[in-house]
Order: sequence, then C-alpha cells, then structure tokens
Amino acid sequence: MDRAQATGFGVSAAGHVALLVILSVALARAAIPPPPSDAIEVSFVDKVGLTSAAPDPSPTPPEQGRAPDLGPVEDAAPAAPAPAPQPAPPAPRQADVAPTPERARPQPAETRPSPPRTAPARQQEGSEGTGQRTRRSLIGPDLLRGIGRDPSPSRNNRQQAATMSAQAMADIAAAIARQVQPCADRQVNPGPGAERIRTAINLRLNRDGSLAAPPRVIGQTGIDDENRRYAARVADLAIATFVGCAPLRGLPQELYDVPRGWSNFTMNYSLPG
Amino acid sequence: MRTRFFTVIAAAGALLGGAIAIGQTMPQPSAPTVQSPPPGAQQPAAPGADPGQLVVDVTGGRRAPMPIAIPYMPTPAATGTAAGNTDALGRQVADIIANNLRNSGLFSPIGPAGLPGVAFPQVTAPDFAAFAGTGAQALVQGFVQANGDGTLTVGCYLYDVASRGELARQGFVVQPAQWRRAAHKCSDVIYTRLTGEGPYFDTRIVYVSETGPARNRVKRLAIMDQDGANHRFLTNGQATVLTPRFAPNQQTIVYMSYENNRPRVYVYDVGSGRARPLVAEPYMTFAPQFSPDGRWIIFSMAVNGNTDIYRVPASGGRPQRLTNSPGIDDGGSFSPDGRQIVFESDRGGTQQLYVMNADGSNQRRISFGPGRYGTPAWSPRGDLIAFTRISGSFRIGVMAPDGSNERILSNGPLDEGPTWAPNGRVIMFSRGNGQIWSVDITGMAMRRVPTPLGASDPSWSPLRD
Repeated sequence: MDRAQATGFGVSAAGHVALLVILSVALARAAIPPPPSDAIEVSFVDKVGLTSAAPDPSPTPPEQGRAPDLGPVEDAAPAAPAPAPQPAPPAPRQADVAPTPERARPQPAETRPSPPRTAPARQQEGSEGTGQRTRRSLIGPDLLRGIGRDPSPSRNNRQQAATMSAQAMADIAAAIARQVQPCADRQVNPGPGAERIRTAINLRLNRDGSLAAPPRVIGQTGIDDENRRYAARVADLAIATFVGCAPLRGLPQELYDVPRGWSNFTMNYSLPG
Repeated sequence: MRTRFFTVIAAAGALLGGAIAIGQTMPQPSAPTVQSPPPGAQQPAAPGADPGQLVVDVTGGRRAPMPIAIPYMPTPAATGTAAGNTDALGRQVADIIANNLRNSGLFSPIGPAGLPGVAFPQVTAPDFAAFAGTGAQALVQGFVQANGDGTLTVGCYLYDVASRGELARQGFVVQPAQWRRAAHKCSDVIYTRLTGEGPYFDTRIVYVSETGPARNRVKRLAIMDQDGANHRFLTNGQATVLTPRFAPNQQTIVYMSYENNRPRVYVYDVGSGRARPLVAEPYMTFAPQFSPDGRWIIFSMAVNGNTDIYRVPASGGRPQRLTNSPGIDDGGSFSPDGRQIVFESDRGGTQQLYVMNADGSNQRRISFGPGRYGTPAWSPRGDLIAFTRISGSFRIGVMAPDGSNERILSNGPLDEGPTWAPNGRVIMFSRGNGQIWSVDITGMAMRRVPTPLGASDPSWSPLRD
C-alpha cells in the first residue's frame, strides 16, 4: 500500500465514521412514533340500517316453503268439487316457489293480503301452469327457503318489512296530524294550566280510516294540583279531536297493518300554551 | 221549607226506556295495551303508549267560549202545575240553562230559539245530525214532567256532538215553586262536566241595595238567586247596612248596621227575619265573616281608638282578640280549611294584606306591591286570595296565599269588595256606579249582575243543598 492508498483509506474510514456519528445523533433526536392502534375490523356490506327494513317492503308474509308434491296433480285434486269451500292457508304461491326466474318475479297482487282461497280456486290456479310443472316434485335446493332464520339470498323474492321505515312513519304521522288539526283547533281550553296536560289515546282504525273501536285514553302527564280538575275534560278534548275529524282519508293501504302501521296507533293531544 | 232534590231514577227512566244514573263518571285512563316492540324501535315519549306503535302528536285548541246547543225541553204530557204548564216550563228551563252557561263566559249557547224541536223520545236518542250544522260541540237535552204527587221532574242530558256519546245525565224532582233551581242544577251538571270546575249556579247573592240621592242613600239588605231571580229585601232601609256575609248553612247572615246610629255587627236569621247584635260590647264592630265550619265569626272592633280583629262563637259569647297592633286590622277572611285568616292592616304604614293562624299567631305580611291592598277574600279552593288594589284606582286582583303571582282582573276605577263563587272560579264585586259585576279568574267574562236597583257589597252563598 503506497502513501496515496493509505491516505485514501484513511479519508474513507474517517468519512464513514463521521456519517455513522451523524446518523446516530439524528436517530437519537428523532421523535418516537406512537405505537400503532389496534386493528379495526371492517366489513363491506351493501346496505346498513338501524332497523330491519326491506328495500321494497311487502305487507304480506314472506313466501313459505311448501311440502313437496308427492303425487300427480290429478290425484291431489278430485274431479268432484268440494261441497263447501274451505279457507286455504295464506301465502303459499306455487309460482313463487318455482325455480324459474320469470316466475319468481313479484306479482302485483302481493301488495294486498291474500284473500282466503277456496279449493276450486286453487284448482284453477294450478291449472294455469303446465301439467309437467305441477307434477314435478318440489324437493330441491330451495325446499327450506323461508323457513330458516337466514333471509333468502334471492333478490327477486320480496320480504315482508319488519317495521315501517322511519320516513314512512313520519309521513303517516304528519298526514294524520294534518287531518285532525282542524278539530284540535276547535277544542276549548277549560282553564288555567290545562295546557300542561298531555293526553295519550289509543286509536284502532279500519282500512277505510274509520274507527274500529272507541278511542281509549291510555295515559295523561303534566297533571298538577292546579290543573287536576281539568284532566278529565282534556281527555274529552283529545277524543273529540280525533272523532271530530274521522274517518281519515288517503293513508297508504300497504302500511295499514304492518308493525307500527296506522291500524293501531297512539295520538298525543295537548292544548297550546 | 227547604226543597229536597232527588236524582231521578225510576220515573223518567221508565218513560224514556232507560234508567237515569246519578251523575256520570269521568272517563278514567285505562291500562295500555301491551305489545312486543320490534327490535330497534324508537318512539317519541308518549304517556302510557305502547312503544311499538305509531305515535302522532297533535296540539290545538283555543281560549274561547264553547258552542253548545240547548234546544227547548219537551214534556211527555203538557200538564198544568202551580208553576205553569210543563210545556212552557220546558222552554223556560232551557232558557235559564242557556243564560247561566252564557254568563259563565265559558260557553256560547246556541238556541234555544231557532233550534230544531226535540220530541220526547229523542231526549235519550238525539238526532245529532240536526245539530251538527250548528257548530255546537255539545248538546243539552232534557224534559219537564209533572208527577202525580204534585212535584216536577226535570231531566237533564248532556251529549258530545262529535262522538255522539252521552257525557252526563241527571234528573231532579222539585216542588213547582223551586223549578228554577232544577234548571240551575242542570246547568251545574253541564258546567261541571264540560269544564272540570265545581258547580256554582244553584247559589244566591246577598247584597246591599241602594236607592236615593248620595246624601240620603237608602241601603237595604237584599237577597236573590245568582242570576238575579227571586229577588227580595231583608231589611226595610231605616238603618244603613253594609258588608253582609253568608253563614255556611245559608240560614244566617251577618252584617253591619247603623241602627240607632251605633255601627254594630248583627246576626240575621233568614228563616225568622230577626236580627241580634253579635256582641254585647258597646264598641263599634264591623267587617264580620264566618269561619268555614260556621262555629266562629271574626270581626273588627274599635276599642279606645285601636281596631283589632276578634273572634266570637257564632252562638254568641265573649270576643277573643286575635290581633294586637296599634294600627287598624280588619277585613278578615278564613282559609277554606279554617286554619288561617287573611286580613288587612296599616301597621306597616300603609294598608297591606297579612296572614295569620286562626288563633292569631304567626302574623306575616304577604302584599308588597306599590299602592294599598284591602278587602281580602280567601278562595273556597284555597289557591288564591282576591283583594282590592288601591293604586290610583280601585281594582280587583288575585294572588297566591304567599303573595306571589299577583294578577289584576278588573280595570276599575272603583271596583272593590270581591266575593268568591263556591267553586273558586268566579269573583263578584262592587263597582262605584252602584252596580255588581262578576269576572272569571282568567279575567274573561266580565259582566254586570242584574239588580233591580243600585247595588254594592255582594256576598256569594255556598252551594245550596
């Protein structure tokens, strides 16, 4: 190693040492990053709701699985008509349980409750399909559809809504309030402090908006020593408010007897302060 | 002779095909139905409501008289009685009821004139459609029937027009001379059921009737029904009288008289027409008032230039001093429970209201507003004290027994001497122009009470038996 090489090695070694020192000092002065937080599990779903609600709710129960057809249709349907029509169990629709996509399409009739069917009517309905289809055994991969807890993965089979959507409920409440408001405005405040009384009445309606049962007072709040004498009268006013403007008009039929529907609801009445 | 009232149970019920119940109970809130709420249901708070139900909130109403239809009352058979034909009485009873309800300020009667006639069988089966177009929210129907024993039966029915339901029914059997009281009692049934307030139409007023020029004013005790009917004078006017007050039994009236130029309190027996001095002491006595149980009379007595409040047994005896201040203490009025007395005193320099226990202990001032306060009257409900506020003008006001929530009800300029209806909802008072007026405690329904002559110092009786 000549002198020049030694000098080169020396400069190189000194440079590396200097670089090591600089990096070490910089590392020591650097802020310690926070420890990573716990991992958050994220699942990707199509729709999320606080309440269970079908996108296109139907008032009728979801389709039920039905027992397999164990014999030809000729055996199951005697030629002689039954002497007295018997109501058939609701809901089972042959068309809905068929695997073909076009027959699984929702039918308009589903927006109304299925009327009791008579035996001849079932015969006629069965005859609408092909003879081969009616004779085919229904044992298949969709036999238990509608029986288990898990919803059907099929998007073509409409499910019954568990509850009315919040928006629909607000709309119906507003529509009812709008219709009874003129009758509420006619009520006369019986005396000082009566405006603090809030009366809840239970109302059961028919589909035509008329009362199915007399309104029933189910509770009052805001009663004190000053206004106690007016409590019974305010209850009268609450009932008169609704009865005076009944029957209700224009409420959606499909939301009549669903859970939280308008077939049976509560009206809170109070006088203005 | 005191009239006895009976609730009609059999006679009218048989005629109308249904028993008449004694009063109608108010609807009571019943238990809510229980249903399982759907998961995740969120409802606004509703008292007693099923949380799984649709809830509708409605607020509405107004402060205005309630329209109420009162057609003429039919009779099953037109019969002549000592009070007139039952057919005519049916018309008059309806008129009295309409007048009472109108005067309360809480109702706007429709009819009787101009309303469809009501056949006797329709009394219990109203033709609601005939009244729906009148705008009435309630309907009063009834009948007048002559009984075989010479009495009258007045049936009284109240219906809700919107719900077409019966709200109340009651009947009264009266002597013919008392037929107006049956109309008042029917009015009370309606008023009580539709307002929640206590009754007050079947009451009387004792007051000072005034005639003649101011310098020689003749003042006589007079008594009348609350609507001005059945008016009569109790004293002949030879001595000036002031501040009459009813005893709870309504058979006795205490008042101050200047008889023999000696101002003293007298006790007047309505039945016999006799009066006696309240106490034997030779001092000036005034401002008498009965205790609610009728056992005591409190009054003011000026002894050697110092006026204090005393009490004495209603049957007479030695007076017992309740106040002992150097000023003038007078105008005492008992609380309805008889435990306290509100009175006026100038012991603090100006005339103000004070409250003390019935034995005179724990005296404390309750009025602190500008001006002066006098003539306090404790409400039969116990919740308010009415008074005369003297601040530029004389006006009637009310305040809580602790002096809070003072409200002025009249505009003056010379309104004074409030007296309460037995239901604690209406106040009657004197006006400086020789008239008696009444006002609802809300300040509404200010009206003049009809009197044949000038009038002052009214005192409202308790509800009649």
